[in-house]
Amino acid sequence: MAMTVGGSKGGPMSEINITPLIDVLLVLIIIFMVIVPHTPHGLGALIPQPNKNQKQNQAVVERTIVVSVNAQRQVSINQTPVPLNQLQDRLVDIFKTRNDKVMFVSGDPSIPFAAVVPILDIAHGANVDKVGLLLKQLQAQ
Amino acid sequence: MPLKGKSPAEVSAINVTPLCDVMLVLLIIFMVITPLLQNKVTVNMAQALNTQDMDAANKSDAALISITRDGKIYLGSDPVSLDSLPTDITNQLAHNLDKTVYIKADARAKYSDVVGVFTAVQTADVQDVGLLTEQLQQRPPYLPQSAVGQ
Repeated sequence: MAMTVGGSKGGPMSEINITPLIDVLLVLIIIFMVIVPHTPHGLGALIPQPNKNQKQNQAVVERTIVVSVNAQRQVSINQTPVPLNQLQDRLVDIFKTRNDKVMFVSGDPSIPFAAVVPILDIAHGANVDKVGLLLKQLQAQ
Repeated sequence: MPLKGKSPAEVSAINVTPLCDVMLVLLIIFMVITPLLQNKVTVNMAQALNTQDMDAANKSDAALISITRDGKIYLGSDPVSLDSLPTDITNQLAHNLDKTVYIKADARAKYSDVVGVFTAVQTADVQDVGLLTEQLQQRPPYLPQSAVGQ
Protein backbone atom coordinates (compact mmCIF):
# COMPACT_ATOMS: atom_id res chain seq x y z
CA MET A 1 0.00 0.00 0.00
CA ALA A 2 1.60 3.19 -1.15
CA MET A 3 1.24 5.82 1.48
CA THR A 4 2.58 9.27 0.95
CA VAL A 5 3.69 10.54 4.27
CA GLY A 6 4.79 14.02 5.02
CA GLY A 7 8.50 14.46 4.98
CA SER A 8 10.48 14.18 8.13
CA LYS A 9 10.72 17.92 8.30
CA GLY A 10 6.90 18.25 8.62
CA GLY A 11 6.40 19.85 5.24
CA PRO A 12 2.94 19.80 3.57
CA MET A 13 1.77 16.66 1.71
CA SER A 14 2.03 17.14 -2.01
CA GLU A 15 -0.38 14.36 -3.15
CA ILE A 16 -3.74 13.14 -1.92
CA ASN A 17 -3.90 9.41 -1.32
CA ILE A 18 -6.48 8.22 -3.86
CA THR A 19 -6.11 4.46 -3.31
CA PRO A 20 -9.14 4.05 -0.97
CA LEU A 21 -11.20 6.19 -3.31
CA ILE A 22 -10.40 3.85 -6.19
CA ASP A 23 -11.24 0.82 -4.03
CA VAL A 24 -14.63 2.25 -3.21
CA LEU A 25 -15.36 3.19 -6.81
CA LEU A 26 -14.45 -0.28 -8.06
CA VAL A 27 -16.82 -1.86 -5.58
CA LEU A 28 -19.55 0.55 -6.70
CA ILE A 29 -18.96 -0.41 -10.34
CA ILE A 30 -19.16 -4.11 -9.54
CA ILE A 31 -22.39 -3.68 -7.58
CA PHE A 32 -24.11 -1.74 -10.35
CA MET A 33 -22.90 -4.24 -12.94
CA VAL A 34 -24.70 -6.95 -10.96
CA ILE A 35 -27.92 -5.01 -10.46
CA VAL A 36 -28.55 -3.21 -13.76
CA PRO A 37 -28.88 -6.01 -16.38
CA HIS A 38 -32.07 -7.36 -14.84
CA THR A 39 -34.44 -5.94 -17.47
CA PRO A 40 -37.86 -7.56 -17.65
CA HIS A 41 -38.91 -9.57 -20.69
CA GLY A 42 -42.41 -10.51 -21.65
CA LEU A 43 -44.90 -11.62 -24.24
CA GLY A 44 -47.29 -9.00 -25.55
CA ALA A 45 -50.95 -9.92 -25.86
CA LEU A 46 -54.33 -8.26 -26.24
CA ILE A 47 -57.56 -8.62 -24.33
CA PRO A 48 -60.44 -8.25 -26.79
CA GLN A 49 -63.23 -5.95 -25.68
CA PRO A 50 -66.74 -7.37 -26.02
CA ASN A 51 -68.46 -6.39 -29.24
CA LYS A 52 -70.93 -3.66 -28.38
CA ASN A 53 -73.11 -3.94 -31.47
CA GLN A 54 -73.87 -7.61 -31.57
CA LYS A 55 -73.66 -7.92 -35.37
CA GLN A 56 -71.07 -10.61 -36.01
CA ASN A 57 -69.56 -10.83 -39.42
CA GLN A 58 -69.94 -14.48 -40.38
CA ALA A 59 -66.95 -14.47 -42.73
CA VAL A 60 -64.70 -13.11 -39.98
CA VAL A 61 -65.94 -15.69 -37.50
CA GLU A 62 -65.12 -18.54 -39.88
CA ARG A 63 -61.59 -17.31 -40.42
CA THR A 64 -60.86 -16.93 -36.74
CA ILE A 65 -58.05 -19.07 -35.38
CA VAL A 66 -58.48 -20.15 -31.78
CA VAL A 67 -55.74 -22.19 -30.15
CA SER A 68 -57.02 -23.84 -27.02
CA VAL A 69 -55.48 -25.93 -24.27
CA ASN A 70 -57.79 -28.38 -22.56
CA ALA A 71 -57.60 -29.77 -19.04
CA GLN A 72 -55.31 -32.60 -20.22
CA ARG A 73 -53.00 -29.93 -21.65
CA GLN A 74 -53.75 -31.04 -25.21
CA VAL A 75 -53.43 -28.23 -27.70
CA SER A 76 -55.86 -27.80 -30.57
CA ILE A 77 -56.37 -25.29 -33.37
CA ASN A 78 -60.12 -24.75 -33.86
CA GLN A 79 -60.94 -28.13 -32.24
CA THR A 80 -58.31 -30.02 -34.27
CA PRO A 81 -55.70 -31.52 -31.92
CA VAL A 82 -52.11 -30.55 -32.75
CA PRO A 83 -48.96 -31.74 -31.01
CA LEU A 84 -47.19 -28.83 -29.34
CA ASN A 85 -43.97 -29.32 -31.29
CA GLN A 86 -45.84 -29.01 -34.61
CA LEU A 87 -47.93 -26.01 -33.59
CA GLN A 88 -45.50 -23.40 -34.86
CA ASP A 89 -45.25 -24.97 -38.33
CA ARG A 90 -49.02 -25.24 -38.52
CA LEU A 91 -49.48 -21.60 -37.53
CA VAL A 92 -46.85 -20.45 -40.02
CA ASP A 93 -48.71 -22.43 -42.73
CA ILE A 94 -52.06 -20.93 -41.77
CA PHE A 95 -50.87 -17.32 -41.63
CA LYS A 96 -48.66 -17.52 -44.73
CA THR A 97 -51.52 -16.43 -46.97
CA ARG A 98 -53.18 -14.01 -44.58
CA ASN A 99 -52.80 -10.32 -43.98
CA ASP A 100 -54.52 -10.22 -40.63
CA LYS A 101 -52.16 -12.06 -38.35
CA VAL A 102 -54.66 -12.40 -35.54
CA MET A 103 -55.28 -15.40 -33.35
CA PHE A 104 -56.91 -16.16 -30.04
CA VAL A 105 -55.75 -18.28 -27.15
CA SER A 106 -57.99 -19.92 -24.62
CA GLY A 107 -57.15 -22.27 -21.81
CA ASP A 108 -58.96 -24.53 -19.42
CA PRO A 109 -59.32 -22.84 -16.01
CA SER A 110 -57.73 -25.77 -14.19
CA ILE A 111 -54.36 -25.78 -15.97
CA PRO A 112 -51.41 -23.83 -14.59
CA PHE A 113 -50.42 -20.58 -16.26
CA ALA A 114 -47.17 -22.18 -17.46
CA ALA A 115 -49.19 -24.42 -19.83
CA VAL A 116 -50.48 -21.39 -21.73
CA VAL A 117 -47.18 -19.52 -22.03
CA PRO A 118 -45.74 -21.92 -24.68
CA ILE A 119 -48.74 -21.17 -26.93
CA LEU A 120 -48.04 -17.43 -26.72
CA ASP A 121 -44.35 -18.10 -27.21
CA ILE A 122 -45.03 -20.17 -30.35
CA ALA A 123 -47.48 -17.54 -31.63
CA HIS A 124 -44.80 -14.86 -31.37
CA GLY A 125 -42.33 -17.24 -33.01
CA ALA A 126 -44.78 -17.69 -35.89
CA ASN A 127 -44.91 -13.87 -36.28
CA VAL A 128 -48.55 -13.54 -35.28
CA ASP A 129 -48.94 -9.83 -34.58
CA LYS A 130 -52.05 -9.85 -32.46
CA VAL A 131 -52.67 -12.55 -29.90
CA GLY A 132 -55.97 -12.20 -28.13
CA LEU A 133 -56.62 -13.85 -24.79
CA LEU A 134 -60.11 -15.28 -24.66
CA LEU A 135 -62.06 -14.96 -21.45
CA LYS A 136 -64.75 -17.31 -20.36
CA GLN A 137 -67.87 -15.48 -21.47
CA LEU A 138 -66.48 -14.93 -24.95
CA GLN A 139 -65.49 -18.55 -25.19
CA ALA A 140 -69.09 -19.66 -24.76
CA GLN A 141 -70.11 -18.19 -28.11
CA MET B 1 -0.22 3.75 10.82
CA PRO B 2 3.03 1.97 11.54
CA LEU B 3 5.73 3.30 9.30
CA LYS B 4 8.72 1.35 8.22
CA GLY B 5 11.84 2.52 9.88
CA LYS B 6 15.16 2.58 8.20
CA SER B 7 15.62 -1.09 8.92
CA PRO B 8 13.74 -3.43 6.52
CA ALA B 9 11.77 -5.06 9.31
CA GLU B 10 8.44 -6.61 8.27
CA VAL B 11 5.20 -4.75 8.95
CA SER B 12 3.36 -6.81 11.50
CA ALA B 13 -0.16 -5.29 11.24
CA ILE B 14 -2.31 -5.49 8.09
CA ASN B 15 -3.59 -2.14 6.93
CA VAL B 16 -7.35 -2.46 7.43
CA THR B 17 -8.32 1.07 6.49
CA PRO B 18 -9.27 0.35 2.81
CA LEU B 19 -11.13 -2.75 3.91
CA CYS B 20 -13.15 -0.66 6.32
CA ASP B 21 -13.86 1.88 3.59
CA VAL B 22 -15.14 -0.77 1.22
CA MET B 23 -17.24 -2.50 3.88
CA LEU B 24 -18.83 0.78 4.97
CA VAL B 25 -19.75 1.61 1.39
CA LEU B 26 -21.21 -1.89 0.92
CA LEU B 27 -23.24 -1.43 4.08
CA ILE B 28 -24.59 1.92 2.91
CA ILE B 29 -25.44 0.56 -0.55
CA PHE B 30 -27.34 -2.39 0.84
CA MET B 31 -29.16 -0.13 3.27
CA VAL B 32 -30.33 1.92 0.30
CA ILE B 33 -31.16 -1.00 -2.00
CA THR B 34 -32.92 -3.38 0.41
CA PRO B 35 -36.18 -1.39 0.66
CA LEU B 36 -36.26 -1.13 -3.14
CA LEU B 37 -35.97 -4.89 -3.52
CA GLN B 38 -38.39 -5.72 -0.76
CA ASN B 39 -41.46 -4.06 -2.26
CA LYS B 40 -41.49 -6.43 -5.20
CA VAL B 41 -43.59 -9.55 -4.98
CA THR B 42 -41.50 -12.63 -5.60
CA VAL B 43 -42.97 -14.73 -8.36
CA ASN B 44 -41.50 -17.66 -10.29
CA MET B 45 -42.26 -16.59 -13.82
CA ALA B 46 -42.78 -18.94 -16.72
CA GLN B 47 -40.08 -19.14 -19.37
CA ALA B 48 -40.33 -18.22 -23.03
CA LEU B 49 -38.01 -17.78 -25.98
CA ASN B 50 -39.65 -15.21 -28.29
CA THR B 51 -39.95 -12.40 -25.76
CA GLN B 52 -39.75 -8.64 -26.10
CA ASP B 53 -38.01 -6.26 -23.75
CA MET B 54 -40.49 -4.67 -21.41
CA ASP B 55 -38.46 -2.00 -19.69
CA ALA B 56 -41.58 0.01 -18.96
CA ALA B 57 -42.72 -2.64 -16.49
CA ASN B 58 -39.95 -1.55 -14.16
CA LYS B 59 -41.14 2.05 -13.96
CA SER B 60 -42.55 3.07 -10.63
CA ASP B 61 -45.85 4.23 -12.14
CA ALA B 62 -46.42 1.17 -14.34
CA ALA B 63 -49.49 -0.96 -13.70
CA LEU B 64 -47.79 -4.19 -12.71
CA ILE B 65 -50.10 -6.91 -11.45
CA SER B 66 -48.50 -9.89 -9.76
CA ILE B 67 -50.31 -13.18 -9.31
CA THR B 68 -48.73 -15.55 -6.83
CA ARG B 69 -48.93 -19.30 -6.88
CA ASP B 70 -51.77 -19.36 -4.36
CA GLY B 71 -53.82 -16.87 -6.35
CA LYS B 72 -53.12 -13.69 -4.38
CA ILE B 73 -53.16 -10.56 -6.51
CA TYR B 74 -50.91 -7.55 -6.03
CA LEU B 75 -50.94 -4.24 -7.87
CA GLY B 76 -47.37 -3.05 -7.53
CA SER B 77 -46.64 -4.16 -3.99
CA ASP B 78 -50.13 -3.72 -2.50
CA PRO B 79 -52.44 -6.70 -2.18
CA VAL B 80 -55.72 -5.99 -3.98
CA SER B 81 -58.97 -7.85 -4.37
CA LEU B 82 -60.36 -8.87 -7.73
CA ASP B 83 -63.44 -6.68 -7.17
CA SER B 84 -61.50 -3.45 -6.72
CA LEU B 85 -58.88 -4.26 -9.36
CA PRO B 86 -60.60 -2.51 -12.34
CA THR B 87 -60.85 0.77 -10.41
CA ASP B 88 -57.28 0.42 -9.20
CA ILE B 89 -56.02 -0.17 -12.75
CA THR B 90 -57.93 2.86 -14.02
CA ASN B 91 -56.46 5.02 -11.25
CA GLN B 92 -52.97 3.71 -11.87
CA LEU B 93 -53.12 4.38 -15.61
CA ALA B 94 -54.92 7.73 -15.35
CA HIS B 95 -51.74 9.80 -15.67
CA ASN B 96 -49.73 7.22 -17.58
CA LEU B 97 -49.12 7.48 -21.29
CA ASP B 98 -48.30 3.78 -21.58
CA LYS B 99 -51.75 2.18 -21.38
CA THR B 100 -50.43 -1.31 -20.87
CA VAL B 101 -51.05 -3.56 -17.92
CA TYR B 102 -48.11 -5.80 -17.08
CA ILE B 103 -49.01 -9.14 -15.59
CA LYS B 104 -46.43 -11.09 -13.69
CA ALA B 105 -48.03 -14.45 -13.04
CA ASP B 106 -46.43 -17.36 -11.28
CA ALA B 107 -45.85 -20.31 -13.60
CA ARG B 108 -47.85 -22.55 -11.29
CA ALA B 109 -50.74 -20.15 -10.72
CA LYS B 110 -54.06 -21.54 -11.90
CA TYR B 111 -55.12 -20.17 -15.27
CA SER B 112 -58.53 -19.33 -13.83
CA ASP B 113 -56.84 -16.83 -11.49
CA VAL B 114 -55.02 -15.31 -14.44
CA VAL B 115 -58.24 -15.14 -16.47
CA GLY B 116 -59.85 -13.40 -13.48
CA VAL B 117 -57.22 -10.69 -13.76
CA PHE B 118 -57.72 -10.53 -17.54
CA THR B 119 -61.43 -9.95 -16.92
CA ALA B 120 -60.62 -7.12 -14.53
CA VAL B 121 -58.29 -5.61 -17.12
CA GLN B 122 -61.07 -5.87 -19.68
CA THR B 123 -63.46 -4.16 -17.29
CA ALA B 124 -60.94 -1.35 -16.90
CA ASP B 125 -61.10 -0.86 -20.71
CA VAL B 126 -57.47 -1.76 -21.21
CA GLN B 127 -56.54 -3.78 -24.26
CA ASP B 128 -52.78 -4.19 -24.13
CA VAL B 129 -51.27 -6.58 -21.67
CA GLY B 130 -47.71 -7.71 -21.26
CA LEU B 131 -47.21 -11.13 -19.73
CA LEU B 132 -43.82 -11.02 -18.06
CA THR B 133 -41.71 -14.13 -18.49
CA GLU B 134 -38.15 -15.15 -18.05
CA GLN B 135 -35.95 -15.20 -21.10
CA LEU B 136 -34.91 -18.67 -22.20
CA GLN B 137 -31.45 -18.89 -23.70
CA GLN B 138 -31.94 -22.31 -25.29
CA ARG B 139 -34.59 -23.73 -27.56
CA PRO B 140 -37.35 -25.29 -25.47
CA PRO B 141 -38.48 -28.80 -26.51
CA TYR B 142 -41.83 -27.55 -27.83
CA LEU B 143 -40.28 -25.31 -30.47
CA PRO B 144 -39.04 -26.84 -33.72
CA GLN B 145 -35.49 -26.33 -34.87
CA SER B 146 -36.59 -23.74 -37.43
CA ALA B 147 -37.76 -21.43 -34.67
CA VAL B 148 -34.27 -20.56 -33.53
CA GLY B 149 -32.86 -17.31 -34.78
CA GLN B 150 -36.14 -15.74 -35.85
